[in-house]
Amino acid sequence: MTARVVFKNASRWYGPVMALNDVSFELGPGVYGLLGPNGAGKSSLLKLASGQLRPSQGSVELLGRPAFGSPEVFHSVGLCSDTDALFDDFTGLQFVSALLSLNGFDRAQAHKLATEAIETVDLKDAMHRKVGAYSKGMRQRIKLAQALAHQPEVLFLDEPLTGMDPQNRKRISDLMKRLGDEGRTVLVSTHILHELEQVTRRVLLIHNGRVLAEGDLREIRDLLDRHPRSVRIKATNTRGLARELVTLPDLVSLNIEDATGHLLAEIRKPEAFFTKVQELSGAFGVEEMWVTDENLESVFSYLVSK
Amino acid sequence: MTAEAPVLAIRPVWPGARDVFFISIERMLPRARSFWVFLLLALPVVLGVLLRIYPPKAPLTGFEFYGVIVALFFVRNLLPLVALLFGSALISDAVDSKTLTYFLTRPVSRLSIFLGEFGAYLVTVLTLTVPCVVLTYLVLCVGTPQGAGFGATDLVQDLGACALTLFTYGGLFALLGVSLKKPLIPGLLFLFVWEGFVANFPGDAPNYTITAYARSLIRHRPSEEGLAELFSKFFGVGESVLVLGSVGVISLALAIWIFSRREYVISS
Repeated sequence: MTARVVFKNASRWYGPVMALNDVSFELGPGVYGLLGPNGAGKSSLLKLASGQLRPSQGSVELLGRPAFGSPEVFHSVGLCSDTDALFDDFTGLQFVSALLSLNGFDRAQAHKLATEAIETVDLKDAMHRKVGAYSKGMRQRIKLAQALAHQPEVLFLDEPLTGMDPQNRKRISDLMKRLGDEGRTVLVSTHILHELEQVTRRVLLIHNGRVLAEGDLREIRDLLDRHPRSVRIKATNTRGLARELVTLPDLVSLNIEDATGHLLAEIRKPEAFFTKVQELSGAFGVEEMWVTDENLESVFSYLVSK
Repeated sequence: MTAEAPVLAIRPVWPGARDVFFISIERMLPRARSFWVFLLLALPVVLGVLLRIYPPKAPLTGFEFYGVIVALFFVRNLLPLVALLFGSALISDAVDSKTLTYFLTRPVSRLSIFLGEFGAYLVTVLTLTVPCVVLTYLVLCVGTPQGAGFGATDLVQDLGACALTLFTYGGLFALLGVSLKKPLIPGLLFLFVWEGFVANFPGDAPNYTITAYARSLIRHRPSEEGLAELFSKFFGVGESVLVLGSVGVISLALAIWIFSRREYVISS
């Protein structure tokens, strides 16, 4: 395997707190899922991989160079971070173009590549609007656009599907798969197993700062299906949507939250549910959908004990 | 086997700094902070208009009054404060807003990032300051016995003094900004305790303040003696420029050294 990302016994502490513990793995071309419960160390791992943090022990290499302190590798690396930070006073096009200029593209090239990337994430209609006025899903997509625009060999995507509507989740999942098929290395951290399954079966299982295994996604999903998942949906017609969803066989509970008006569902087998929501999204104005709890903790406790 | 990195190098310092500059200036200049600072800087213009409409009985000409405003209001008080607000925020704002990641994950060196940010700082603060100083001069001096033609050299020198003051304090507060998480309070203490009191101590104490050198650059022929009497210690122009320039450059070099090595933990 031609490895582009190499962790060798990498550990990372924040003061007395250990975020990553003796992690070793290599990633070549293709899509890899980074899976673990909240606080497992996923974001720390991505920050080390993308050279934002230096390892306290061991080494992290990116394209054959130390990830920390080698800015030249970022000609070939894209990052969609987990923070909701953007240049809010810039339009979408200005934002992506400006970051491309840092890669050395001239104005015309930057404009062309930015427009292409924005089209890829289906934001062309909004590219002249300020990103400060974007919805959560749109902000997520413009972050993805800036990560993709310079056509990097390696992409780090930290929770890229957060806040997106079902159509865009599918669009971005398909895009990740395509990037992997093109021979790029894509490391994506997500809670949404269902969509990860559409793009890859290779997952890095991380728990308590340790990478337990490079596992098969199907095995993990079988385990997860025994634990109901919580889904939050924001829609313009929540009651109508609830009436349609309540008949689904694997639904455990369905509530409308008073404070936000969001629909909260607990489901066992997510595929039929997500497909149904996708079908109904136009009719009932589904704007955003989050899987709020994968109950990964219990699954990982089980895996650790194996 | 590890993949060979493509033959790509880090971008040269100046083109990288230029691209960071263009992003930073667009984010710095149109902010609410700039608007409020501009209003503060424009106060002497309003005061000057009032003085022209209602001339005071005190035997102080408009030109002399202008000299006092430049020395006390701009160079002594407001410009160091402006430098603190903008200079200390150069990197810490990007950390707080979590946008620093966008710069750190591009093929530009940290030196380029810092220089671009500092360049944007200088252009922003000069854009806010220069029109206010010039307007104050025009309002107070044009049409007076020491008219615009007579004092134009003083105006140019004053603008140079303002620029050097903003450069020196900016460098110092940028150093504070890359070293501390919350640089504003220590900066205010430095300005109002150290600079406020020590600069007026007798003996050699003023030698260890920036403001004593900055105010020494304000030399108006009609009012020079008055200004010299007002402050306890006055330095020569050459010495002042050398000290201010050195403090600015050394502060910037240290700030770049720290920024280039420091790890920024930006969490969601």
